Amino acid sequence: MLSLIKNELGKILVRASSWIYILIVLSVVLAAAVIQAKFTDKPSSNWREELESEIAALEEDLQTAEEEWEKELIIYEIETNKAYLAENINPDTYSNWHFMNDTVFVVMILMVVLFTAIVASASVSAEFSSGTIKQLLIRPHFRWQVLFSKYLAVLMYSLIMLAALIIFGFLIGTLFFGAGDFNTRFFESDLDSNRTVMVVGKQFFLKVLYFLPGLIIITTISFMLSTLFKNQSLAVGVSIFVLLVSSTLGGIIIFLAEKYTWAKFLIFPYLDLTVFATQDTILQDVNLPMALLILAVYYVIFMVLTFTIFQKRDITV
Amino acid sequence: MSEKALEVRSLTKRIRKKLIIDDVSFSVEKGEVFGLLGPNGAGKTTIIKMIVGLIGRTKGEVFINGFDLDREFKKAISEVGAIVENPEFYGYMSGYRNLKHYANLAAEKIPKERIQEVTRLVGLEKAIHQKVKTYSLGMRQRLGIAQALLHNPSLLILDEPTNGLDPQGIREVRGYLRMLAKSGIAVIVSSHLLSEMQLMCDRFAIIEKGKLIQISSIDELNGGNLEQEVAFEVDNADNAVRILKNYYPGFAEKVVNEKQFSVKITRETIADVNQLLVNHGVKVYGIGLSSTSLEEHFLKITGTDGQGGMAYVVANKK
Repeated sequence: MLSLIKNELGKILVRASSWIYILIVLSVVLAAAVIQAKFTDKPSSNWREELESEIAALEEDLQTAEEEWEKELIIYEIETNKAYLAENINPDTYSNWHFMNDTVFVVMILMVVLFTAIVASASVSAEFSSGTIKQLLIRPHFRWQVLFSKYLAVLMYSLIMLAALIIFGFLIGTLFFGAGDFNTRFFESDLDSNRTVMVVGKQFFLKVLYFLPGLIIITTISFMLSTLFKNQSLAVGVSIFVLLVSSTLGGIIIFLAEKYTWAKFLIFPYLDLTVFATQDTILQDVNLPMALLILAVYYVIFMVLTFTIFQKRDITV
Repeated sequence: MSEKALEVRSLTKRIRKKLIIDDVSFSVEKGEVFGLLGPNGAGKTTIIKMIVGLIGRTKGEVFINGFDLDREFKKAISEVGAIVENPEFYGYMSGYRNLKHYANLAAEKIPKERIQEVTRLVGLEKAIHQKVKTYSLGMRQRLGIAQALLHNPSLLILDEPTNGLDPQGIREVRGYLRMLAKSGIAVIVSSHLLSEMQLMCDRFAIIEKGKLIQISSIDELNGGNLEQEVAFEVDNADNAVRILKNYYPGFAEKVVNEKQFSVKITRETIADVNQLLVNHGVKVYGIGLSSTSLEEHFLKITGTDGQGGMAYVVANKK
């Protein structure tokens, strides 16, 4: 089994495309850092006075504001600034950990998922497309072993990409924004714009942790499509389509779930669990254990489907 | 068990209502080259895929070297080396890496020396570190044989092994197969070319529409009393036929053109006819088994009809 996994991981890593995906992810991080560095102000030492004068100016604006929405906006701004003062947090503080928590995080949930999905959906379908699946199965290993080694290899590749992103993100962040304190406190807003004080480094790793279930389930879906479709392009295409549509569907389901309970059991809102890093429940009353349970049920269904279909299928390519 | 490298019993495949393979049984001895002969679409590849477990069986059993493919899959399949349809590889890896990849999948560890050995055997030393996507079909075919031999299988299955090879390559493949059979390996080859079967196999099964029609041995076909269509090329066909008619009144001859004619005679008679013609001053430029000879036999069995060409082929020596 170990030699199978080694073979499969080897086949992924020997391909230029696998490395190009990782390079693309890293270049995006670099580009984002360059752009961000241009627009980031150096935090000033007398930020408290600056904030206080800004609050005073905002309060004056509030007197003259006529529209209701205008007033609300100004009040929110004032409260934000007051909260910074009360918690003694410099709003302009930006360090490598802040960079990790916003930029690297966004690259992670967008690009690592995308490229993992591409590699996963090519995993089995490519063997069908090239016909090598026949050679692979005329070996003294059971079919499920061959399939499982492929599945593990894809997950490993995904972790390699994730590790590369985190290490590179940290180095680039340090280079551009300086080494900050892991325990720096900052304000994180949830989906309803409620502010909570968080520790920036911890928050980043919490998001990575909550990111993993979604990554695994999307890998599993792509891998399933890869065994269902014998055509590599079709498998990759459908996989990316599902990925793109799922985020849109996730938004629609938030509205549906207000009316219908069954909508809460659809998979789409749970493909990204990182929201639980900023809030305790989504869709009114679904908490993290509940979300994980729903994902687990889908996971088992997908895995059983993938393996039984592959086990029984006639290899007709 | 016995000396049987492969035993196939009542192999049957039904897809929905359609019978694809209909109760096919045969066995292959160690050291034998066994052919599966049939037109395209007859079910040769399906039979091969069922033997190696790529396609499920509706009915029937497969024993490889005595191991039941269902109950002892790993033991049975580790006795098999195969090329199914085309020799397919990972084009983005070198030939060597492809071989290494398959070596890693073997039941027992395959040393580096063995990889080099099979590489040498198929004559790919020079190109083995090039990427497979640069290989010609002939090179892939040879790499395919190397891959199939890596783990010293006792049953070698090659689906259309001479597909895409030039005459030189075909002769080489034939050479390997003979050599392998001599070393005790059972070899199964499939082909839709009769002449090829004639040259490669000890015995062959004729497959038509998923059914095994007949198993014949090549000796049976080539030698003995079987009358074959023999083509002669001479300076004057009419003259030659007239001479022959005097000696063999019952001859069923066909004059093709002024220089060619053919007769149905046994192997022994070929020599007599030649001598007779030469003695009467007829210039004989060529004698050949008409390529239609085996085809006619084949068509007679399968009941399909077709008009073969009259090209000469070199008479094969057994």
